[in-house]
Amino acid sequence: MAQPLVKKDDDRDDEAEYSPFLGIEKGAVLQEARVFNDPQLDPRRCSQVITKLLYLLNQGETFTKVEATEVFFAVTKLFQSRDIGLRRMVYLMIKELSPSADEVIIVTSSLMKDMNSKTDMYRANAIRVLCRITDGTLLTQIERYLKQAIVDKNPVVASAALVSGIHLLQTNPEIVKRWSNEVQEAVQSRAALVQFHALGLLHQIRQNDRLAVSKLVTSLTRGTVRSPLAQCLLIRYTSQVIRESATSTQTGDRPFYDFLEGCLRHKAEMVIFEAARAITELNGVTSRELTPAITVLQLFLSSSKPVLRFAAVRTLNKVAMTHPMAVTNCNIDMESLISDQNRSIATLAITTLLKTGNESSVERLMKQITNFMSDIADEFKIVVVEAIRSLCLKFPLKYRSLMNFLSNILREEGGFEYKKAIVDSIVILIRDIPDAKESGLLHLCEFIEDCEFTYLSTQILHFLGIEGPKTSDPSKYIRYIYNRVHLENATVRASAVSTLAKFGAMVDSLKPRIFVLLRRCLFDSDDEVRDRATLYLNTLGGDGSVVETDKDVKDFLFGSLDLPLVNFETSLKNYEPSEEPFDINSVPKEIKSQPLAEKKAPGKKPTGLGAPPTAPASTVDAYEKLLSAIPEFADFGKLFKSSAPVELTEAETEYSVNVVKHIFDGHVVFQYNCTNTIPEQLLEQVTVVVDASEAEEFSQVVTKPLRALPYDTPGQIFVAFEKPEGVPAVGKFSNMLRFTVKEVDTTTGEAEEDGVEDEYQLEDLEVVAADYMLRVGVSNFRNAWENMGADCERVDEYGLGPRESLTEAVNAVINLLGMQPCEGTEVVPSNSRSHTSLLSGVYIGNVRVLVRIAFGIDGPKEVAMKLAVRSEDEAVSDAIHEIVASG
Amino acid sequence: MGLWEAFLNWLRSLFFKQEMELSLIGLQNAGKTSLVNVVATGGYSEDMIPTVGFNMRKVTKGNVTIKLWDLGGQPRFRSMWERYCRAVSAIVYVVDAADYENVHVSKGELHDLLSKPSLYGIPLLVLGNKIDKPGALSKEGLTEQMGLKSISDREVCCFMISCKNSTNIDTVIDWLVKHSKSKN
Repeated sequence: MAQPLVKKDDDRDDEAEYSPFLGIEKGAVLQEARVFNDPQLDPRRCSQVITKLLYLLNQGETFTKVEATEVFFAVTKLFQSRDIGLRRMVYLMIKELSPSADEVIIVTSSLMKDMNSKTDMYRANAIRVLCRITDGTLLTQIERYLKQAIVDKNPVVASAALVSGIHLLQTNPEIVKRWSNEVQEAVQSRAALVQFHALGLLHQIRQNDRLAVSKLVTSLTRGTVRSPLAQCLLIRYTSQVIRESATSTQTGDRPFYDFLEGCLRHKAEMVIFEAARAITELNGVTSRELTPAITVLQLFLSSSKPVLRFAAVRTLNKVAMTHPMAVTNCNIDMESLISDQNRSIATLAITTLLKTGNESSVERLMKQITNFMSDIADEFKIVVVEAIRSLCLKFPLKYRSLMNFLSNILREEGGFEYKKAIVDSIVILIRDIPDAKESGLLHLCEFIEDCEFTYLSTQILHFLGIEGPKTSDPSKYIRYIYNRVHLENATVRASAVSTLAKFGAMVDSLKPRIFVLLRRCLFDSDDEVRDRATLYLNTLGGDGSVVETDKDVKDFLFGSLDLPLVNFETSLKNYEPSEEPFDINSVPKEIKSQPLAEKKAPGKKPTGLGAPPTAPASTVDAYEKLLSAIPEFADFGKLFKSSAPVELTEAETEYSVNVVKHIFDGHVVFQYNCTNTIPEQLLEQVTVVVDASEAEEFSQVVTKPLRALPYDTPGQIFVAFEKPEGVPAVGKFSNMLRFTVKEVDTTTGEAEEDGVEDEYQLEDLEVVAADYMLRVGVSNFRNAWENMGADCERVDEYGLGPRESLTEAVNAVINLLGMQPCEGTEVVPSNSRSHTSLLSGVYIGNVRVLVRIAFGIDGPKEVAMKLAVRSEDEAVSDAIHEIVASG
Repeated sequence: MGLWEAFLNWLRSLFFKQEMELSLIGLQNAGKTSLVNVVATGGYSEDMIPTVGFNMRKVTKGNVTIKLWDLGGQPRFRSMWERYCRAVSAIVYVVDAADYENVHVSKGELHDLLSKPSLYGIPLLVLGNKIDKPGALSKEGLTEQMGLKSISDREVCCFMISCKNSTNIDTVIDWLVKHSKSKN
């Protein structure tokens, strides 16, 4: 065992070379398979051929349908042999071929005979194969035998039946569910494997019934499970029950915690580990609960078995993210693992230490890491780089050694992902630690002197263009940038030109020199590079004397494109070359909320209707086209926003109606999408009577009724309201569907002459403040926030009252405002007590609004928030606060 | 005495041991599996389940070991009969002689099968089963209805049997055994 690692590897290479099957060919083996048809079978020979076939299949070789079927039928001939070894190979072969060969059902009868044979090996394996090839109708025929097999006294047979049950549950759940009693009996089996499989199947049978799972766990945790594997499963199910049960964390008593803790003293290591891991993964685990689990994991750290060390360090690594203090006890054991032979263990140990370490140990750790970086693979290096990044953000004072480390590894060999991780880390450090900026930028400059990745080069050049001009001595970066124009491919050259232009725009003293360089770029061989150079020379005024760069130019150079790129792309594609130039303002800014529409679709589709619901096609473009086609709405101006469809009827009623709210500057249009779900009826003169008495600022101007609404053909009714221009008026509207019903003879499809007038009450509809807000994101919230300035900032604090969780409160506020969350701040990390959300949107009148909300939650679930609003207009900032105050 | 005879039989079988392979086909419920049971053990059971796929049986009669491929007769399996008839010593085709309505279906399936080039020349034994039932076809009737006269490219033989009463089973076995000898 204590042989040097290198030697072992050599041995393995030798073995691979002498593999008896190396280089066998499919065609030849298929020829050999003819021996299956010999009148006098040679079991040994046949077994060998099957082994070769299985080897080929496992090496990824595929058989065509014809080949597979041919081999399959030849193999079925081998059922005549009574050789046990050969029969086993036949079973394996049929199982392997069953998905690709036709007519595998032919062996059913033979397998059923084997399933009831006296040889246990036949029985167990025949069950496994039979379940693979059977279908629902045959299953009912063999069900009786399978039930018997589950409680068979031979563990191999019982396990085979149980495992087959697990497979069959996917295709024939209702049959397998009938076996509950037998499975329950098998759970009590003395054989470890049977208990394990039985528990797995029993849980799967009940998995959709929470109460049943809870009962199962309750009865089994009282200690009848002997098999360690089954005990591990039980621990997993237990933690699932704990997760789902209502937590009483306040009192500190967690159901089943005692059971988990008891498992920490189990004989089997795997059970101990499973229990420890389950405890560390408990929701909102307290340090008192953690301590025993951490103690056993610490013992594992010094185990002689690599797998235990790995498991322990991996779990501790995860714990360190949420409870670094709890892991510090293990630091000494962990440091000795840095020199572990197994590199995965070493990497995890290092990254854990980086998370739990204190400021004083950073230098020492870095030294150790440097030594072993060259030994590990790229993906581990990325893990280390990420750990160092977060460490640096934690201890900004240590940036110097950490930055040095990053720049050193940046110079070493490595793949794209690894280099990208390093560059990203440096960029983040530069952004967050002002002191690190100059040295970091120089490291990046040096890197692009010898960088093989176009993507990284352009990214760094772009970053240099933004940060470089703000440094104390911008001129020193010019050389690096201009070198790119000489040495690199066209893409990098083009971005180098842009970067040069940015320096020129920001640093007046450099302007003349930049112009010289840009003019040289006019002779570049690439169109894009020349175009950019020309463009920048003109915008910066490179023809004449040195002038102050004006604001427009800066906006042009540095402003971000505030358009969703997808929308921009579609608009450009739709643009047809003509006299009229492309208008960038015509690009819709709304971010398409596709997932929302998809989520709604399945729920609301009434059964038995062929027509798809109109909602999923709810793109702004489509609505705009639809509305502009109606002459009455032509003078309403540009559509500001269309809401998602709101259902005004219950699902599966006679008439299904949903409404889309279209917001214009001075008008609101309701689009009622109606569907008639009664085949015996034809509706005529369909209109919606809207009562706006609870919406004072609105007055009805136009109604566009529907002449006829036949069965299953959706139609639209429009009702338009006037409202004060630019004002976010809100109100409640009650709706009544009014129409004339005519009976239809379903056989002939003809309607009767006379109709009856009727009404149908719809649910109320509200226009809320969020309807006046477009969900428009920004790419860099921080920049946008600072550029907006504090002139029109409004800050206030609000109590939100008791809430289920912080997540719920955050979502409620986001929905209330109808704004786009930026930078993923709509997601609240679990267990956090406070959270900041960044929102962005465009308010009616095209006023950009940015919102920063700090949420906090205290003991009895009281949520409070501090709302800061910035916009270009004080009135709008106030309006946002009003929305929140009244919501 | 019996012991001595058994010993002689065994000795004889050592020297004259012969093997033959047969495939047993026909529509469902014709009595194929019953025939196998009667030939192998002499037992008969009314209560049979349909064969899903095939059964493989080895039966020793005298010094001949017969490998029997007993195939399912349901329509889904009929396309696979041919695979199990290739290179057998003889094809045994069982017909329910009391089920007039399906005799022409049976005839169609048989002629379809025999037209396959891979089965050219393989001897055919047609067995009209269930003659214990009242109104079962006669041998002449069956030969006529199955169109056996038109088969000219192979040896064809027809017997009327009853698995239930073991009628004519011996004749069948004799034919088979004789056949294996003549072939080898």
